[in-house]
Amino acid sequence: MKFLGLSGFIGCALGLALGVGFSAPAHSANFVIGEHTPLSGKLARVGTGSHRGVMTGIKVLNDKYAGQHTFELKTIDDESSPAKAVSAVEKLASEGVIAFSGGYASGVIGPASEAANKANIPYITFGGVATALSQRGHEGFFRINSAAGYGKALVGLVDEMALKSVSIAYSNKEATHKMAGYIEKKLNEKGLKVSTHEYDAHVKDFKSIVNKIKLRDRSEAIVMVGYESEYVGILRAAKLLKPDVKAMIGVWSLATGKMAKEFPDLMENVYGTAMLPFPVSFNSPKQKLFYEAFKTNFKDEPSYLEQFGYVQTRLLGEAIVRAFDKNELNLKGIADELRKTDEETISGRVRFDEHGDNPEFVQRVGQHQKGKIPLVWPASSKTGEKVFPGTPWQ
Amino acid sequence: MNIKISALMLGVMYLGVPFFLGDNDYLIGLVASALIIAGVAVAWALLGNLGGMVSFGHAAFFGVGAYTSAVLTMDYGVPVFVALVVGGVGASLSSIFMMPALRLRGPYFALAILAYAEIFKILATEATGLTGGAGGLLSIPSLPVFAGVDFGTKLGGYIVILNIVTLMLITYYFIRRSSYGLALKAMHDSELATRIVGVPATYLKVVMLLVSAFMTGAVGAFNAHYINFLEPDYAFSGTWTVFPIVAAIFGGYRTLSGPVLGALFIYLVDQLVFKNLIPQGHQLILGVMLAGMIILSPSGLLPVITNLFTRKKADNKRGEAQHA
Amino acid sequence: MELTAQAIFTGLLMGGFYGLVAVGLALVFGTMKVINLAHGELVLLAAYIAYAVESQTGINPLLAMPIAMAVVIAASLITFYLTNKIKKDRELNSLILTFGLGIVLTNGLLMVFSADIYSTQSAWFMEGLVIADSLFSMRSEMLAFVVGLCALGGLYWWLNHTWHGRAIRSVSSNRDAAKLMGMNPTKAELWSWAIAGVLAALAGVMLYVTSVIHPPIGHSLTIKAFIITVLAGMGSIPGVLVGALMIGVIEGLTTTFFQSSLSELASMTVFLLVLLVMPSGLFGKKAGH
Repeated sequence: MKFLGLSGFIGCALGLALGVGFSAPAHSANFVIGEHTPLSGKLARVGTGSHRGVMTGIKVLNDKYAGQHTFELKTIDDESSPAKAVSAVEKLASEGVIAFSGGYASGVIGPASEAANKANIPYITFGGVATALSQRGHEGFFRINSAAGYGKALVGLVDEMALKSVSIAYSNKEATHKMAGYIEKKLNEKGLKVSTHEYDAHVKDFKSIVNKIKLRDRSEAIVMVGYESEYVGILRAAKLLKPDVKAMIGVWSLATGKMAKEFPDLMENVYGTAMLPFPVSFNSPKQKLFYEAFKTNFKDEPSYLEQFGYVQTRLLGEAIVRAFDKNELNLKGIADELRKTDEETISGRVRFDEHGDNPEFVQRVGQHQKGKIPLVWPASSKTGEKVFPGTPWQ
Repeated sequence: MNIKISALMLGVMYLGVPFFLGDNDYLIGLVASALIIAGVAVAWALLGNLGGMVSFGHAAFFGVGAYTSAVLTMDYGVPVFVALVVGGVGASLSSIFMMPALRLRGPYFALAILAYAEIFKILATEATGLTGGAGGLLSIPSLPVFAGVDFGTKLGGYIVILNIVTLMLITYYFIRRSSYGLALKAMHDSELATRIVGVPATYLKVVMLLVSAFMTGAVGAFNAHYINFLEPDYAFSGTWTVFPIVAAIFGGYRTLSGPVLGALFIYLVDQLVFKNLIPQGHQLILGVMLAGMIILSPSGLLPVITNLFTRKKADNKRGEAQHA
Repeated sequence: MELTAQAIFTGLLMGGFYGLVAVGLALVFGTMKVINLAHGELVLLAAYIAYAVESQTGINPLLAMPIAMAVVIAASLITFYLTNKIKKDRELNSLILTFGLGIVLTNGLLMVFSADIYSTQSAWFMEGLVIADSLFSMRSEMLAFVVGLCALGGLYWWLNHTWHGRAIRSVSSNRDAAKLMGMNPTKAELWSWAIAGVLAALAGVMLYVTSVIHPPIGHSLTIKAFIITVLAGMGSIPGVLVGALMIGVIEGLTTTFFQSSLSELASMTVFLLVLLVMPSGLFGKKAGH
């Protein structure tokens, strides 16, 4: 730091000495951002996606501030374990990272962000939706998404369909359990008949669940709250048993390009939350920036995981640069700058309330249609009309 | 020899570790995490070595202890240190359900206990009112400030778990030396013979199961307050069974300090060395090492070290003799 | 009624597959008293080979069977070779050894194939098969069931009617006596591991065509397999069949009448009850007590 200050001073002095208005960078710095994410263990799949997003964010930051600042990412695999995530945070803290971007699952994020707080380092994430996380009074805890954002989108969609009954099949994991509870409550309030079916992630056969929905619940739609392999299982069972429903709706990890490519025969007409349509016509400069940076590193289509990881990292990077310019590169400085964020990102508008939550977070809903996923809800972001009623077997 | 190694180990843990690593949260945290595994490993080895019962379900006790303590402190305001003990008691009580399995032998007992652990996990997931269900418990109280010392810090937590493990080792040592221990050892060799001589084998097994469950429960309770978070998948995770077994066998489960050394060695080498070599999937080397160990030195790490020591001593003696 | 019938039907199909997964483990357990904790991972290995072959060449994943078998037999024999190197306390130490090998396999698969989910691209397997207008299954599930039954039946016949099979049986019932009779127990054990490899490969390819694969499922397959093995009693093949079908049906019925997340609870409870009442399993001799 001393050295940087000195070189900055020399830079300024040179500028002054030359007496011309060229804007040489007054300061330059290398900002080290830390990340703990599950690259192995049961969360490896989502952790890897999030990690790619964070890497893309770092790349875009480096391009933007080329010649001025550099951003460096230090990543440690937390193995989907809280204790190892805490160790990772402590290790990275001792190596001098100035902020954290990452984490997945509330139970891992909780202890890890606690450790970051103890080390006076800000922490930004999208991986945990438990309300309690932002209620702990951490000055440096930020989260760009919220459970309510997903829930509102699904409830909004179901509302628009004017359905009378819905069956929810959900995994008995932390996030899915809470999400299913939220949706059930909201739909009940709207007077719908809601039946719930809890399953364990180890279950291999979903026919019995779908058959119950078909013969006993006779609901008009099935809402799935789970993860990729489970969606595939439920959709296969549904395609086989053909329950008389008007829509198959899922939460995260479903309306993605990957699913459209890997399981084209299962996905037709299925809904899921999404921020962007697929294939994304990345038209706006912001979207292009992300997409091109992503494509240089990965030969793949980005999903919501990559987008969120990217957005949180880029916002963090911008806040760091602003804090640095004010000579306030510390927890308070970065947190203050993050709190000033108010930006239309590729994942929607982001600003933070006093708890570090993003009250603007709303998800949109996409529908798989012939290998593409247009956005069909809300009306303001529509890029296509929904096929309704419609299921993979109709 | 064994007791000397234990004493040496504890000396290093009590004096050396805080002195050299005290201000490095990361390293202290790693050693504390290793000690959590070590605690369960000692409890498991006690049951295996003295009771002759190989359990595949110590995660059950770990989880019950953790939830008991967390719920007591969060809903009933019980002080954390009291709750740690009650957590152990809770785990002991839960082991009563497993008593019928004591008449099973070898792998059958192991698998029965595994089934119990699965059942407990599912019950914890379904008992939403008590445990928060799959949603889990966040913000479980940390270890408190006690007698002017903040045990909520990394170093504080380390001292607490170290004390727990030390108490367990002392208990283990005295049980083994007592007439109980002798009877248990005899039983291990031949249950039939002991029965004929008049030692109540089942009674002894019951006691060992209760003790082992208590120890594991207390460690689980400690972990809940150390990590401040619980969900059934985590609290009853198979990791809490498997890692301690691996550690105990690796270190030498028939010795007193073997399980502790094994846990420290495996956890630290894995996290400090292998993880740097292969950032993703470093457990692979752990697997290779484990397999190698079982084949090359099946009674664990400790005999290797002991051999090394004794050979050195013998060499020294020889050297001295020559000088003289 | 319709619900119950479908639940039982689904459960039976599932049970057939479980039997296929478990029988390799049971065979080795019977001959060597070794519980191979890497068995589920061997099954998963075969599934990934089927995926690799299908995604590289585009051919039907069933045609990957020879390659899958070759690789899994080799892996199984390596496991046998290593297990055989254990000198003392083999019952316990082999658990640790095979557990370690399971870790190696899971992480190896994670490194090679990433944590993504895969399933067959061939739509043929997913088409419906409807019996009597009310019982639904996918073609692949029926296929897995039939393969499972054939494998169990074939193995039963082989154990009882061929020289090698009888050798395995005699070694498993009394190793020393078999040795005195002039048999080579190691050879019999080698055979049983090789056959276990074949069975794991069959199960793995069936897993790939019926379901979705990703690295962590190897472990849950192992647990299911050894529960069925113990339920069956010391390496009994009919026991494996009955135990597997029982577990499958119990899971199906629990899902239908209670909820899916309780199905594991039900199968575990039944497992415990059987074990406590009949410690040597459904079809075992007095081995467990």
